[in-house]
Amino acid sequence: MVTFQAHDGPVYSMVSTDRHLLSAGDGEVKAWLWAEILKKGCKELWRRQPPYRTSLEVPEINALLLVPKENSLILAGGDCQLHTMDLETGTFTRALWGHTDYIHCLALRERSPEVLSGGEDGAVRLWDLRTAKEVQTIEVYKHEECSRPHNGRWIGCLATDSDWMVCGGGPALTLWHLRSSTPTTIFPMRAPQKHVTFYQDLILSAGQGRCVNQWQLSGELKAQVPGSSPGLLSLSLNQQPAAPECKVLTAAGNSCRVDVFTNLGYRAFSLSF
Amino acid sequence: MSSESSKKRKPKVIRSDGAPAEGKRNRSDTEQEGKYYSEEAEVDRRDPGRDYELYKYTCQELQRLMAEIQDLKSRGGKDAAVEIEDRRIQSCVHFMILKKLNRLAHIRLKKGRDQTHEAKQKVDAYHLQLQNLLYEVMHLQKEITKCLEFKSKHEEIDLVSLEEFYKEAPPDISKAEVTMGDPHQQTLARLDWELEQRKRLAEKYRECLSNKEKILKEIEVKKEYLSSLQPRLNSIMQASLPVQEYLFMPFDQAHKQYETARHLPPPLYVLFVQTTAYGQACDKTLSVAIEGSVDEAKALFKPPEDSQDDESDSDAEEEQTTKRRRPTLGVQLDDKRKEMLKRHPLSVMLDLKCKDDSVLHLTFYYLMNLNIMTVKAKVTTATELITPISAGDLLSPDSVLSCLYPGDHGKKTPNPANQYQFDKVGILTLRDYVLDLGHPYLWVQKLGGLHFPKEQPQHTVIADHSLSASHMETTMKLLKTRVQSRLALHKQFASLEHGIVPVTSDCQYLFPAKVVSRLVKWVSIAHEDYTELHFTKDIVEAGLAGDTNLYYMALVERGTAKLQAAVVLNPGYSSIPPVFQLCLNWKGEKTNNNDDNIRAMESEVNVCYKELCGPRPSHQLLTNQLQRLCVLLDVYLETESHDDSVEGPKEFPQEKMCLRLFRGPSRMKPFKYNHPQGFFSHR
Repeated sequence: MVTFQAHDGPVYSMVSTDRHLLSAGDGEVKAWLWAEILKKGCKELWRRQPPYRTSLEVPEINALLLVPKENSLILAGGDCQLHTMDLETGTFTRALWGHTDYIHCLALRERSPEVLSGGEDGAVRLWDLRTAKEVQTIEVYKHEECSRPHNGRWIGCLATDSDWMVCGGGPALTLWHLRSSTPTTIFPMRAPQKHVTFYQDLILSAGQGRCVNQWQLSGELKAQVPGSSPGLLSLSLNQQPAAPECKVLTAAGNSCRVDVFTNLGYRAFSLSF
Repeated sequence: MSSESSKKRKPKVIRSDGAPAEGKRNRSDTEQEGKYYSEEAEVDRRDPGRDYELYKYTCQELQRLMAEIQDLKSRGGKDAAVEIEDRRIQSCVHFMILKKLNRLAHIRLKKGRDQTHEAKQKVDAYHLQLQNLLYEVMHLQKEITKCLEFKSKHEEIDLVSLEEFYKEAPPDISKAEVTMGDPHQQTLARLDWELEQRKRLAEKYRECLSNKEKILKEIEVKKEYLSSLQPRLNSIMQASLPVQEYLFMPFDQAHKQYETARHLPPPLYVLFVQTTAYGQACDKTLSVAIEGSVDEAKALFKPPEDSQDDESDSDAEEEQTTKRRRPTLGVQLDDKRKEMLKRHPLSVMLDLKCKDDSVLHLTFYYLMNLNIMTVKAKVTTATELITPISAGDLLSPDSVLSCLYPGDHGKKTPNPANQYQFDKVGILTLRDYVLDLGHPYLWVQKLGGLHFPKEQPQHTVIADHSLSASHMETTMKLLKTRVQSRLALHKQFASLEHGIVPVTSDCQYLFPAKVVSRLVKWVSIAHEDYTELHFTKDIVEAGLAGDTNLYYMALVERGTAKLQAAVVLNPGYSSIPPVFQLCLNWKGEKTNNNDDNIRAMESEVNVCYKELCGPRPSHQLLTNQLQRLCVLLDVYLETESHDDSVEGPKEFPQEKMCLRLFRGPSRMKPFKYNHPQGFFSHR
């Protein structure tokens, strides 16, 4: 196990390309070479800060998204904007405005290259990358079926499957049909969810509560697999088609332990640091 | 020949006549003189060769004659007789010749012999002379070699070197002109100089000896004088006692203490010496005294012969008494226990005075059979303290010194060998006797110089001064800080119980001016109660909640919100910060399990405690933490997002200035207070 100090503050988001690991936290995104990390080195390759408007407080970067077709990286966070950065040149090409409060999460809609972003203001916005304009806005809290005012209106997690989108957070976890912007299924989960993802024909979600929840598209809870942290903040699936036997799900949250699930039915072991 | 023989006949006749003529000396002398006929001389004249021939001839003639005679005899006849007679006469003549020849031969022989003898004698004489001479030569040679080898004693003396000699010797000895040329004279001169020098040095030596004698005598005199001085000085000392007391110079007292100190057992002695030294050198407020009975201490060390006699006597007595009255087993065991836990009659009292005039009284005891030291503590303050209820344990003698060093709880004996002793008398642990005997803390053992290695029980652990000295300063400092922090806590608790968090003016900058949440309750709780609370599981699992800690419960309220805080106070406060665990009851129960912001609040108080330490010696830590807790509750309640479904205004309107209300994927509230701008931000 390799441990190294990457950022001075918390790390809120990480993505990985074939050769690089990109991490972002308090206002900066840094890149690391996988080859070096495996050799237990920890020298950063580069670091970048998107052009922020305010200088009083450095906004955090909550979400990173890779757009492989353009070879660019999208950052979103505390300054309520989406910044696009070209990975080859390192320049910031676009800044997309629209959110009124800070952005929690991003998702990529592959077919028509659109980016979805969910934020503290309770809205899910779709952006077209080519035109750099907001295409669609879904204000989740305004829909009665899914809104939960006592939790707030913030959208904590997003996942999209081109036509479908699932989002959750303050409002309940809901499956939306994007073209019609209507909520189709509401998952009966009381605790606000912090991470959601599509997996095969299931939806996996995790949030405040020990368990990784597995939902069927119809809204039924298929399984709840308990983890070891009292609250989970992120899930990660290794879905490389080249190595089907390395398919693992890892979950981490409010404690010093990372749970590893080799079979989605139970927790295999935990790594702790 | 016959003429010759006739000539011979004549001398022969004369000779035969000459014999009787010897009687008549006078006549014979002359006759002899005249008629002296020396055959010797004749011998000289005759030629031996011719004599030899004559002899041979004569023998032949004889033989012939004999043969003729024989012939004649054998033939017989008358003529024969005359012939024979003739021949007989001839043969007689021949016989005469032979006789003469024989005589001559003899004479010759004799002569020869005489000559040889003479010659031999001469030769012998010469030989003897030669021998004598040779002997003498040898003798002389030996003498010569002896003389040559003779090492005169003067060569064994190391004479001064030539240069020195010429430099130092006075000229009448060195006589340079003479000695330079003549080595013999030179050596003589040098020897003379040597002799001079030796004489001078011998003089000096005698002088020095006499000096020494004198000085020794003087020393003797002075010694006597000094020894007569001693009793006089003693009397002066006695007389000066009142003066000493008057002037506050207790020399005598110190002296008496040192006298008593000699009867202390080794670890107490080490402690006494080291603390007095430390007190004199570094810390004037430290005072050391010895208490207890010196006579009892002396009684402990009776000489072995006496005790052996006592033993045999007491054995006999014991046998008798046991027959009469058997004490019960329990009483016997009890007595054995008492015996094992016996304390040495002397103890060392240490008084540590702190800045605010409070005093920590420490009494150190030594348990003889267990070879450990224990301490009893007491804190007295300048003014009478009213103990608040929650502060009961703070200054109690049992726990005030607990965990002075981490982990040193003083309930177990530090000497591993004691376990075996305990097993014999049925003592389970020292904990039961600690109240009576005092606590055997590890630092107490170290101050007494006793070092018990962890795993192996040693046979004899002796008191070591260097161990004590190396721990002295740190321990004293720790003791003082401990007393002061406990007293500070004492005062703070009094205030906390009244619901006021006493924040000193130099810590005001850590908090905003207006704090609405109030502390309503502050109580101490037991260790078991703490572990049973549902929101303290993490701390218990992390091993931070042992039974040496002190536990408290605080309650902070604002409006309908009630925040419970369970506090773990480590005895090592304030170098070890207290740990808070929170549980908020407002719109449901929120703990660190289900609310990330409660976790953030806990970390603000527990993890970021360094900012709250305040000025050294950081006695303000606890109160600052409590005040911060109130501020955090304020922020939490005011920044809670408004629930649109519920009617009515927000219960807690936002009064704090915050840049952003939420940040990060876990939507943290701004808990960090920025001074002097006065706004809240995220860490």
